[in-house]
Amino acid sequence: MENVLEFQNISKYFPGVKALDNISFKAYSGEVLAFLGENGAGKSTLLKVLNGDYQPTSGKYLLNGEEKNFLSPHEAIEEGISVIYQERQILLELSVAENIYLGRMPAGKFGIINTKKANENASKIIRDFGLPIQPETKVKDLSIAYQQMVEIMKAYSRDNLKVICFDEPTASLSDSEIEALFRIIRKLKTEGKIIIYVSHRMDEIRQITDKAAIFKDGRYVDTVVTGQVEEAQMIHMMVGRDLGDIYNNLDRKKTIGDVLLEVRNVSSDFVKPNSFVLHKGEVLGFSGLVGAGRTELMRAIIGADKMKTGTLILEGKEIQNNSPHDAMKHGIVLVPEDRKMQGILANLSVAGNINISMLDSNSNQFGIMNQEKEEEISREGIQNFKIKTPSPDKKIVELSGGNQQKCIVARWLTTNPKVLIMDEPTKGIDVGAKSEFYQMICKFAKQGMGIILISSELPEVIGLSDRIIVMKGFKITGEVMREEATESKLLSLGMLGEVKDA
Amino acid sequence: MNEKKGISLKISGDKLTMIAAIVVVFVLFTSLNRNFFSVTNIINILVSASLVGLVAIGHTYLIIAAQNDLSPGSLAAFSGVMVALLISRGMPVPAAVLVTIGCGAVVGTFNAFMVNKIKLDAFIATLVTQSVIRGFAYIICGGKPISISNKAFLLIGKARVFWIPVSVWIMIFCILIFGFILSKTKFGRSVYAIGGNKDAARLAGLNPQKIIFTCYIIMGVLCAIGGMIFASRMNSGQPAANVNLEFDSITAVILGGVSFVGGVGDMSGTVLGIILINSFNTGLTMVNVPSFWQYVAKGALLLFALTTDYIRKQRREKELLAASMKNAV
Repeated sequence: MENVLEFQNISKYFPGVKALDNISFKAYSGEVLAFLGENGAGKSTLLKVLNGDYQPTSGKYLLNGEEKNFLSPHEAIEEGISVIYQERQILLELSVAENIYLGRMPAGKFGIINTKKANENASKIIRDFGLPIQPETKVKDLSIAYQQMVEIMKAYSRDNLKVICFDEPTASLSDSEIEALFRIIRKLKTEGKIIIYVSHRMDEIRQITDKAAIFKDGRYVDTVVTGQVEEAQMIHMMVGRDLGDIYNNLDRKKTIGDVLLEVRNVSSDFVKPNSFVLHKGEVLGFSGLVGAGRTELMRAIIGADKMKTGTLILEGKEIQNNSPHDAMKHGIVLVPEDRKMQGILANLSVAGNINISMLDSNSNQFGIMNQEKEEEISREGIQNFKIKTPSPDKKIVELSGGNQQKCIVARWLTTNPKVLIMDEPTKGIDVGAKSEFYQMICKFAKQGMGIILISSELPEVIGLSDRIIVMKGFKITGEVMREEATESKLLSLGMLGEVKDA
Repeated sequence: MNEKKGISLKISGDKLTMIAAIVVVFVLFTSLNRNFFSVTNIINILVSASLVGLVAIGHTYLIIAAQNDLSPGSLAAFSGVMVALLISRGMPVPAAVLVTIGCGAVVGTFNAFMVNKIKLDAFIATLVTQSVIRGFAYIICGGKPISISNKAFLLIGKARVFWIPVSVWIMIFCILIFGFILSKTKFGRSVYAIGGNKDAARLAGLNPQKIIFTCYIIMGVLCAIGGMIFASRMNSGQPAANVNLEFDSITAVILGGVSFVGGVGDMSGTVLGIILINSFNTGLTMVNVPSFWQYVAKGALLLFALTTDYIRKQRREKELLAASMKNAV
């Protein structure tokens, strides 16, 4: 059976973000197609469009020449398109067979379920897949890998399965389990299914896929034959330019100044006691896995969470931050990680967002706002940070993510901070805006500000920081100077809590 | 520049719809009863609007701040009884008025305490107050209305300046003052900010608890003033008065374009909402709609207001999406 899946000019917009931009390409039967791209390149969004989770803003997709428009994942499954997600979507309390035939168990007269028949049918599939499990076993008693296999069998058990997509399927599998998965993928391939494989692991992509569709910033770049193109070449297509250059050409400060902020044993309900020092003109990187406690430590420092123990010493004087308002008065400000939920004020304009932390100094003793002053500040902010907006009165949510982030930075810079904490400032921002942010960070450091940069992107944290602190399990596990920083060193500090040099 | 013009036109579009609705109500009721469109009746409408109007100012602040209050009816009744009681016990009028306003502020503080510190949902928290304060309104007077004979106090509800009753002047004065505060001051701006996103506003250096606290106090004080005006008009403090006052007020505010989402709306919209709902209510009475059916009609009007709010929200989102399609990189 020959199948063709075709995307025609698919675009998908979210407020402020163009997630997919005019995507067109085809996928064919009997080949494994990789989706390759950086985080935010649009791979997962495209899968969600395909399985009816999202509706495309424009464009269409066709299966075997027939235009489809699924309004829900359920409809997509009915028509033979299944997506296997990282988070398993099976019912742990039910048996293998019950999961495979969920919602369509074979039933006799009066709708009484025929469990025996379901188990027989399931056994056949399990045998086909060559797995050592029983149809009666409860899914919760299986390993993660076999749970995933149950999901694949669930998709496979539908006679009309045409397209099966895997979204980072090996994230939590061991080597032997990956091998088992690959065996099944090859089997599906010989049966003429279209297989889409999303992964960041280049070695797997080389092993299992035939072709790779490359995405960058929501756009489709090209499809290459996996075996014929060098990995470096593919990465270059994903990134669009060599990021190394961006870092090397930054105008950074040569010498680091005196101690600016000393953090001693600071803890909160969410983070263990930690100590570190920040100097004037220094970019201090914070590396570690997501959930290592970096954000929580910063929230304790600015008083967003109550500080349980510890002291803060700013320029030699002990200070107390009982709220972000106190921290702001002391000149310590935070650009939060979650721009949408914690950064922008979606109901206000660009000008309103830039001015919101300046309400005190923009108003007279009766609290009446000085409109001219506000206009001046927002004009300067828009100019200095090259915020792309048709007017200061535009709602901030209408801007792109990068420009929204610039508004938040502009908001803080008008308060003349001494310490600028940026939590994942370039998350979900396109490459061009990223390099603007890097230049900005270096400029602020040069002006004598102390910058704390939390980033999960290793090249970013290494490329920008003068010194890097690594956290794991809510504690600082190590500190690396810029000259000695390597990705493997930071990773081993972040994952193992110690440096293990190979 | 064109963009800006487009948006301000659309906002006034919402207001135009409201004005059109008011015109429709006037035409409809005038055609059913000639007396509807007369100076006497319009002044009547304004007088009956004066209590709801004061409460609606409070609701404008609270709902923009993503809060709410269901206790105004009880608090207004309590305040009427309270001031009547104090005056009947021989307290001078100015002192009695101040004490009553103080009580309103205390109730507002209590509401803010439940919302800020016990982290209760505003609807539920103020439902508690609604019942408790109604109870106290009966307790302090032993369940019987207290009549007021003090001439000076009765003037509040009855005297006229330039043909317009003092109570209406008080409402107009409060609307102007609080409208100015909402649009032109630091506090007003903070109300919008915390209503739009409390967490982000806090991280931006604002103090949401303090702002919420102030909004509830404003509401408490306005309810106290409104309750006293009502008592003055009725010659007595009545513990059973002002039931469902919050209902009319919330309807007016939502009709006027304040959204339950928080962070959206303004005082001029509320003014239109007050006019609409009070001419509607007065009209129903004048054309002799039975009071049982008036409840149904009021419910329908609130449903209409909520539906309008929903449609406006959908439209805002659509416009946003369209705009971001243009601006996204």
